[in-house]
Amino acid sequence: MGVASSTAAPRPPGGLLPGGRVIPFRRRGEAATAWLGMVVFLGSWAMMFAGLFFSYGLVRLRAPAWPPPDQPPLPLLLPGVNVAVVLLSEGALVLALRRLRGGKPRPAAAALVAATLLGATFLALQTAVWVSLWDAGLRPDGGPYASVFYALTVFHAIHVLVGLVALVWLAARSLAGGLGPTRLQALRLWAMYWHFVGAVWVALYLAVYVI
Amino acid sequence: MSTPAQVMEQVETQPIHPPPTSFWRKYVFSIDHKVIARQFLWAGLLFLLVGGTLAMLIRWQWGFPYQKVPILGDVFLGANGGLIGPATYQKVFTMHGLIMIFFAVTPVLIGTFGNFLIPLMIGARDMAFPKLNMYSFWTFALSQALVVASFLVDLGTAGAGWTTYPPLATNVGTPGTGQTLVVAALFVTGVSSTMGAINYVTTVIRLRAPGMTWMRLPLTIWGLWLTAILNALFIPVLGSAALLLLLDRSFGTQFFIAGAAAVRGGGDPILYQHLFWIFGHPEVYIMILPAWGIVGDVLAFFARKPHHWYRGSVWAMVAVTVLSAMVYGHHMFMTGMSPLLGEAFMLFTLTISVPSMVVVLNWLFTIWKGSIRFTTPMLFALGTMFVFGVGGLTGLFLGDISMDLYLHDTMFVVGHFHFTMAAASFMGAMTGLYFWLPKIYGRKLDERLGKVHFWFSIVGFTVVFGGQLLVGWAGQQRRLFDPFQYTFIQGLRGLNQWTSIFAFVLFAGQFVFVWNFFKTVFGKAEAAGRNPWEVTTLEWTDTTSPPPFHNFDVIPVVVRGPHEFANPDVKRLLGRDWVGQAEKVPALEEAPAAAAKA
Amino acid sequence: MRRARPLLAAPLALAARQALAAPLPESGFGMPRDVSADGHLVDWLIHYTLVAATIIFVVVLAVMIWSFARHGRGHLAEYTHGSKASAGVLLGAIGFIAVAVDGNLFYRTLVDMNEVFWNFGALEKDPAAVRIEVNAHQWAWLARYPGPDGKFGTEDDIVTLDDIRVPVGVPVVIQLASTDVIHSLYLPNFRVKRDAVPGMVNWLTFKASEPGEYEIGCAQHCGPNHYKMRGVLTVLTPERYREWVETMSRDARRAYDPEDKEAHWAWDWRSY
Repeated sequence: MGVASSTAAPRPPGGLLPGGRVIPFRRRGEAATAWLGMVVFLGSWAMMFAGLFFSYGLVRLRAPAWPPPDQPPLPLLLPGVNVAVVLLSEGALVLALRRLRGGKPRPAAAALVAATLLGATFLALQTAVWVSLWDAGLRPDGGPYASVFYALTVFHAIHVLVGLVALVWLAARSLAGGLGPTRLQALRLWAMYWHFVGAVWVALYLAVYVI
Repeated sequence: MSTPAQVMEQVETQPIHPPPTSFWRKYVFSIDHKVIARQFLWAGLLFLLVGGTLAMLIRWQWGFPYQKVPILGDVFLGANGGLIGPATYQKVFTMHGLIMIFFAVTPVLIGTFGNFLIPLMIGARDMAFPKLNMYSFWTFALSQALVVASFLVDLGTAGAGWTTYPPLATNVGTPGTGQTLVVAALFVTGVSSTMGAINYVTTVIRLRAPGMTWMRLPLTIWGLWLTAILNALFIPVLGSAALLLLLDRSFGTQFFIAGAAAVRGGGDPILYQHLFWIFGHPEVYIMILPAWGIVGDVLAFFARKPHHWYRGSVWAMVAVTVLSAMVYGHHMFMTGMSPLLGEAFMLFTLTISVPSMVVVLNWLFTIWKGSIRFTTPMLFALGTMFVFGVGGLTGLFLGDISMDLYLHDTMFVVGHFHFTMAAASFMGAMTGLYFWLPKIYGRKLDERLGKVHFWFSIVGFTVVFGGQLLVGWAGQQRRLFDPFQYTFIQGLRGLNQWTSIFAFVLFAGQFVFVWNFFKTVFGKAEAAGRNPWEVTTLEWTDTTSPPPFHNFDVIPVVVRGPHEFANPDVKRLLGRDWVGQAEKVPALEEAPAAAAKA
Repeated sequence: MRRARPLLAAPLALAARQALAAPLPESGFGMPRDVSADGHLVDWLIHYTLVAATIIFVVVLAVMIWSFARHGRGHLAEYTHGSKASAGVLLGAIGFIAVAVDGNLFYRTLVDMNEVFWNFGALEKDPAAVRIEVNAHQWAWLARYPGPDGKFGTEDDIVTLDDIRVPVGVPVVIQLASTDVIHSLYLPNFRVKRDAVPGMVNWLTFKASEPGEYEIGCAQHCGPNHYKMRGVLTVLTPERYREWVETMSRDARRAYDPEDKEAHWAWDWRSY
């Protein structure tokens, strides 16, 4: 397609300027760029959740009675415990990052593992809630109330799962040999994600379970 | 602020990922923004052909109803004797709309130009996240595959209109895998667009060359950047609508199902319309902002005159971006919303016409007293101005509730959005293609063929979409398989037929471009040279055609804005009517600073 | 089939009538004949906007063409990024358009919507107003009149298919719903339309000014036979209308079948 690919000799990673000068591969300011990218990314996800919360609001406004009288009531305890679990997990992650910055890799790894286990606990408790409601007769095809409940909670849980997989991987690497600069950057970014997912949970808990 | 030494270090050492060596990494899974841009271009142009063919089927049915479709009838409609039936017809107009918007205009205008131009025009070596960029293309290719798959299943592809309103778009109205696949394709293409948007937004903010301040960015970059912001914010809302619709179709949920099929009160079909149009209205601005930017730059380039009141246009584009989500209700005036809400939406809709007028009048004031070179890109840019003017003015009728009482869901709406979205975005894309092809492929498209293409297009678009406006004015509704069932439309047979004939001519004329494109890219053609158009922006002044893998040998340092033409000092010092953005001319140092403030 | 007789009678009568006389085809360009009391408000706005848009278009086009002719290659381009004066002219022009066109549109529409087209509350209090419930479905319009007792859902309700009849000169208030997908009741000769959305009851009003037969269209894609969802709106003199109501509700009473659940789709008339 007419693209000229210039040199024949093997190139150093990064490339060559004319005159033999080398263009290095690692960027300066890369951390800030990655941070900004993550912010935009989270902004997009926030808008998607906003669409779902908007849907919840409109469906609820239009419903003659909420909750509908013949639907099983939503539990308050386990999801409430999950709020605590989420906040603790976020706290552990913040602690891990602080310890890493302070040059204490082993305690940091411990905090990271704690954050991961708490994340797994969240999913386990959420699953318990779903199972109990399913057995009580709340099914996705049971009308708008059930639709909204399952859509919001399942969609959120999928996001938690994605973050959890990342945390598991990072925790494993942290235990194995510590986190190098690239993985530390990744951890910072995933921490932002984790905070986002936690904030959505708090909003979800208040909007769906409490109010 | 950096010291001169720091600036020089930054200039020479801006890093780049290593160049690819294998065939797969060079041409298929490339992370080079220039290659990805070409991939989007081919993918988009291919589907533009498909979308255009579908349009010809619609025009055939209206111009020559109940007659066998020539050529295509035997190939695709054999089961029905070569005739289009009502069920097929609704699939044809649905997929025409969806394909044109998401799979043709978006990849060409945003995928191609965004990817190719953003790093080059801001003076960077690549996007902020090159791997994400690659994923964004292949995700898009996946969504195109889903569209193709939808045509091949039992019961065929989607048929609920491009707007996919439930309950028609749920299983109640449109059963079958085809509709589900199309909704899934929408979701997947949304993921691709969002990935691209994250890249574009971050790249423009973080990777501008030294001296490339916000108010020195080419308008093309402003257009693409604002589009990316809208994409990042509002595609996810479409995602939520598509997700809920998929849930309704596949899991029995009741978000949008109402009426007889409702369980426990059912959902709200209007909810979908809210979600859809909160995305949908910004989407039309997403489709026009890059075209506005391109036209703004190209008009200045070929009028050889600075863009009039550059800042005004920038602020106008920003205003349109901010207002775009606040006007969405004008698509829903007839749904039974509260009058107060309707009036608020009408107020915002009328307000958004103001910045649009600023952009258009700035174009007019740019070419006024210029020294116009009527090259093919310039012709297309002027053509874009013309069709957007018509389209924008017809929007006035529709933004008003009283007039919308009569005009809603008539062909007047169709004419309006074809002038603005199809004609203006298309001609804006063609402006960009004719202008930047020399930079993308190193060769210029043939000027004579280009002008033929232009005249076919401008006359074709005006007559065809003008025909739509006329029949809509007379009250003909949209999406009718056989409009002439209505007595009040029977007098429009002739008009519909002539519109169809001109549509076929318009379509045929596009093959002049196809021929020109293939000839230029694959045939023998002379090299274009670095800066054949003699313009000022970095991709022309500071690198070759096409650029090398790392874009710039030396990252340029920008000292002035993008439209420094006709400056008498420049004429005196350099003997030409233009000076590049990064061109250091010591005797001019005071002037650029003053000019940049204007 | 256990259907109330009016439901059978209506399509038969319709077919017969269509064979004899039908709404006159319009001549082509131009809006359909306006036979409503208030459609002229819409028409006035449309024509005003057309004139304004044409003027703006012609002026801009003229400037463009002048520029092509006089400011081509041979002309020396003026070096300016724009001045306060030129930006002022630009903004002034836009300001003028914003007030003269946008502002006027906005004001007139507020008045029109609040006093006429969406003024359901006041209109339906009019004792002479004709009330009709219209239930759209794929792909026909069912209309129900309350009959002499003035109540919907009773034995004397008149139900018609693709056939709405109204007296001339009297406000007609329609409550509109749908059983399956979104449709839109469109009366081109009256310049109004409204969406029929399942799960909602929407309002529509108009007043006819001329007897005759006019068309009802569907203005929202509702499936493959969307194009066939055509009805006829007949505007009768008040006497003929009264006769029609009497005859039809007498038939309805005779044919009333309490077991026919499908025929009992009426809803209690909503207040605005």
